[in-house]
Amino acid sequence: MRLRALLLMAPALLLLLAVFAWPMLEYAWLSLHAQSVFTGLEPVPVGLANWQRLLGDGRFWQDAGQTLRFAGVSVGLELVLGLGIALLLHQNWRGRGVVRSLSLLPWALPNTVMALGWRWIFDDPNGPINALLGGLGLATLPFLASPQLAWIATVVADVWKTTPFVALLLLAGLQMIPADLYDAFALEGGTPWQALRRITLPLLRPYIFIVLLFRLAQALGVFDLIAVLTGGGPASSTESLAVYAYLNAMRFLDFGYSATVMLGMFLLLLAGSALLLLLPRGQEVRS
Amino acid sequence: MKRFGRGGAALVVLLLLWSLGPMLWQLYTSLRTPEALLGDGAGPGGGWTLANYVQVLHGAPPFWRYLLNSTVVGAISTLLTLLLAIPCAYALSRRGGLLRLVVSGGLLAAAVFPYVLLFLALLQVARQFGLANNLLALCLPYAGLSLPLAVLLLQAAFAELPVELEENALLEGFTLMQRLRWILLPLMGPAVVSTGLLVFLFSWNEFPIALTWLSRSELLTLAPAMARIAGSSVFTVPYGAFAAATVLGSLPLLALLLLFQRQIVAGLTQGAIKG
Repeated sequence: MRLRALLLMAPALLLLLAVFAWPMLEYAWLSLHAQSVFTGLEPVPVGLANWQRLLGDGRFWQDAGQTLRFAGVSVGLELVLGLGIALLLHQNWRGRGVVRSLSLLPWALPNTVMALGWRWIFDDPNGPINALLGGLGLATLPFLASPQLAWIATVVADVWKTTPFVALLLLAGLQMIPADLYDAFALEGGTPWQALRRITLPLLRPYIFIVLLFRLAQALGVFDLIAVLTGGGPASSTESLAVYAYLNAMRFLDFGYSATVMLGMFLLLLAGSALLLLLPRGQEVRS
Repeated sequence: MKRFGRGGAALVVLLLLWSLGPMLWQLYTSLRTPEALLGDGAGPGGGWTLANYVQVLHGAPPFWRYLLNSTVVGAISTLLTLLLAIPCAYALSRRGGLLRLVVSGGLLAAAVFPYVLLFLALLQVARQFGLANNLLALCLPYAGLSLPLAVLLLQAAFAELPVELEENALLEGFTLMQRLRWILLPLMGPAVVSTGLLVFLFSWNEFPIALTWLSRSELLTLAPAMARIAGSSVFTVPYGAFAAATVLGSLPLLALLLLFQRQIVAGLTQGAIKG
């Protein structure tokens, strides 16, 4: 019986190992080698040189900070907006099924397609936002050409695309809460705001946790959106770690260092998830 | 919970504007002449054109080629994923103990892993085995990347089926294949469909691996084709052709979502509850 179970699982597990485990081993090996145009693209063992370079690489740490800022602000906004939308869609009103499907549309589109669309929306001076500003007699804003504005543009595009996904998962959570709880709470004189804080949010916590897990992991690995919307610019002010790793491999042809950047990013993610896993437990102790 | 006055209605309008506005703007842009987009006085009623679509559809290669490539890759990846995931999910759902715990944990970790990190090693594999510029080969990493979520969703669906059903079939002398084919899978239609749709969406939209595996322009799938259009100077301002490309690239997915929205929503929420 056990043998048959293993046989049934073997093809899937082998492909999984090939796609997930093999690359990480390959990176571990590559990160101890120089393989770039200077070595004629042949791997040459260099010990820990790549790792020393990583620790002192200002661009890596700047990108790490920028990736964290992007993920934190995007996911935070998505959670708040998504909860609002989920509460709205959870009410009883005619036509909410249609609205639910329509509001899910942004989520289904390819990242690259809408990133291209946002580039036009943020265009200076001909995009619609700047046309509106110009029409009101205000100065146009160089959204994609200014380091202060460009990262906000990436956040807006990401929030637009992913909030429907967050809202949908939270809506599934809301539908699991029995309506009697609210009725009983209202009978005892609780206001809707108190009900949100004392019933909805605590019972929604497992769902919020899953959303946070999936969305933070995705947002910290952001690549498609930034590659197409800003290309990491201006002056690498929107560059994420994934984009930096990509540039190291495909533009600077420095494969050894690119593998080191990716492993470094992986280790940072691992440390981050460990922190995230500790977080909810701490809250439970307090409450 | 019945109070839903004007404030609620205003919020719904706001939500629709926010969700649909950027897409409607693309549609509008795609139908305007360059002069009209730059505000060079086309009068009311003037400045409308289909020229942007003609330009995109007569490109080299024509735009429908990318859509076709993405559809082929999406369909084959979905089939391959289901073929591998169904037996694995079945075995997993019928086992208890340590094996299940370890495999499920590993699958969950792989499901949230930012797969973009894998592109360089996968590219090396592609070069070593001559898999670059091959649409069928591209389905292998896509299936591998889709497996974690697919197995988790399907094994939850298997676990929900009553055990007696299978025991009876066993007494009747059904083999494993027969039980899967004639007893279990027919009852799992919804789960298989929603899992397949999520895999298809992923494969259709995937960017970094397609970007590095494909270089011949007639083989590009939609995502790298859009990036190439974005990077080419032919289509800089004005954006009419850009917008026509985004509209054409969105339409198949919008159709898919509207046709199967119930299954997609079910798949996503199942993942949330059981993941």
